[in-house]
Amino acid sequence: MNKNFRPALPLLFFLLLGQSVAHAQYLNPKLTSKQTVVRNVVILPPKIEIVRESTKGAEGMVEESAALSSKVADLVAQALSDKKIKVLDSPFANQTSETEADRKYTLADIQTHYDALLPKMVNHSKDVKKERFSLGDEVLNLNVDKSADAIVFIRGQGKKLTKGKTVFSILNPFSFDFPFVFITIGLVDAHTGEVLALAKPATLGDVTNPKAEKPLRKMLVKSLKKLPDAP
Amino acid sequence: MKRLNKHLTILILFSVCLSFVPVARAAQTTAQATAQDDKAFKFTKVDLDLLEQVNLLDKRFEKEGLVYHDEALNSYLQRVGESLLPDVRLENVEWKFRLMRDPVPNAFALPNGSIYINSGLLALLDNEAQLASVLAHEITHVYHRHTYLQNRSVRKKVLAINIIETIATWNPVGGAAGLATNLLGTISPLLLELSIFGYSRDLERDADLEGARRMTITGYDPQEMVNTFKLLQKDIEGEQIKLFYNDHPQLDERIAYINGLINSKSLKGSPDPLTFVSKASYLSTIEKAARHDVQIAINSARFRSAVYVSQKLVSLDSKSPENFYYLGESYRTLGPRAFELTNKELTNGAKKDAAKKHNKYTPEEEEARLMATTAGQENWKINQQQAETSYLQALKLDAANPPAHRGLGMLYEKLGRKTDAMNEYQKYLEVAPDAPDRERIKRRLEIVKGGS
Repeated sequence: MNKNFRPALPLLFFLLLGQSVAHAQYLNPKLTSKQTVVRNVVILPPKIEIVRESTKGAEGMVEESAALSSKVADLVAQALSDKKIKVLDSPFANQTSETEADRKYTLADIQTHYDALLPKMVNHSKDVKKERFSLGDEVLNLNVDKSADAIVFIRGQGKKLTKGKTVFSILNPFSFDFPFVFITIGLVDAHTGEVLALAKPATLGDVTNPKAEKPLRKMLVKSLKKLPDAP
Repeated sequence: MKRLNKHLTILILFSVCLSFVPVARAAQTTAQATAQDDKAFKFTKVDLDLLEQVNLLDKRFEKEGLVYHDEALNSYLQRVGESLLPDVRLENVEWKFRLMRDPVPNAFALPNGSIYINSGLLALLDNEAQLASVLAHEITHVYHRHTYLQNRSVRKKVLAINIIETIATWNPVGGAAGLATNLLGTISPLLLELSIFGYSRDLERDADLEGARRMTITGYDPQEMVNTFKLLQKDIEGEQIKLFYNDHPQLDERIAYINGLINSKSLKGSPDPLTFVSKASYLSTIEKAARHDVQIAINSARFRSAVYVSQKLVSLDSKSPENFYYLGESYRTLGPRAFELTNKELTNGAKKDAAKKHNKYTPEEEEARLMATTAGQENWKINQQQAETSYLQALKLDAANPPAHRGLGMLYEKLGRKTDAMNEYQKYLEVAPDAPDRERIKRRLEIVKGGS
């Protein structure tokens, strides 16, 4: 290939994808057949990690990541409410360093279990439709509200670029460096631990920017589009 | 002992980047940098930014329930850790020694002085001197400002690679010079990765050697650092895979250079050496945390480690119903797996295959696959018998031991002994009316009743 065209290819790729979002979603047949109906859910503390990529490498954004996690949880709650699914108060919402140790451990263990299962779910998402994934009945140990039908796990990772890095990424489009966020939303049966739904919304752009809230909301709503409304 | 573990994704991003400095040059820089004493270390904005992120991360570990809380154990870790500290006050360092709820045998240090030892490593160790060897290694990372130095080094290297790659993309030069520039742009990530891992290995070696010196000064036998490496070599889960490059020296190499240091007789010990702390004394101090580790090892599908630690606990205190309960749990969940890996399973190729399967299958699927084999069925039979014997021993020592009833219930449910399972679940609910997992056991009881 002519060397002069090489830098143009990734630019074309970015132009095509620049405004687009992806929102793959997979439902367990128990949901589609209405054998399991989700009316009430509890959202567990989300974990979204964002890093700032500069010309000298990646830097942590612990505080911004926590703020984004909280914002995404609120937007997911709104998206679920639009589907008439009630979001119950989470007993873990205001967890602090002083929260009772055993309670914190139980939550941490369930979150760790979900994190161990997540890569398999992301790589083989279609298997959610085959009822392959479950956290087991240990989810009952969370002792969330008894009326909860499902527990929502939110995970994500993303990157924002500094101005310097943006210049480098334009000059060197083959580095494929661009700001993005990739989120996963998992709905798990609150009694059996079976994974009922998995959504994988992703978008290009800096989602820590306050202006990004509207597209972020739109993306999350779309990502839960297939989830049946509560009766 | 790695400074960084899986929880430290952000810090990993600080370290695992690419650059262009050749390995030999990086090693030379390391030696110079680590030789500096703390007075020579001047905080830059980059270091302070890193410190701020690390402080936030420290709080997050706490908030998310990743840190184990037990006053007696915390005091013990703090006491052993503080005994090893240099007699110098370091700027922006507050020494804290804590236990991380993680069954992987590992430890790490944050540059703000927070040193975490994983429960999996604490439970694997046999005595206090071995614990001191781990803490001394991590203290050196903080004392020699390794994280800051590595962060600075990585940042320079990443900037270099960004420039080289950009030049290579727009390289207007043709012929041999152009080809060379393009080639440089292509292979520079590999060279730089090697240089970063080389740099990291140098820092680890420095932490080992200085850690051994620090142990000796305090009065601990540095030979116990060698014994710690030997314990790590056991590779109970078959997960130590040799890669093309690693960020730590190989354990054989670490044993060799620490033995070399001991044999050189250059170590100067304390005039008042500590009394050697026995295995029994150490294990009784960490007993509660070790039991906790057995449970999280089971939760994390590290069943062989769970059996190893609970066997140690039972041999320490054979009158403890709790220890027998945990042994029962470990064998029950070990299921169709063999407790010890064969030599064939411990080859590098076999470990790589096992890792691939581990990434592909869930623990339940892995169990079902093993159950389809004769060896798996035999192991299952043996392990379930061991589990039952252990639970019954726990109940012999304490007839009202609730977890042992629950464990037996789960065992009998899996064995298809429904009446026995129902009885055990009912007993559990009677003797532990306020148990946090009451709903779970009630549901199981209903299912067994429904199916009987």
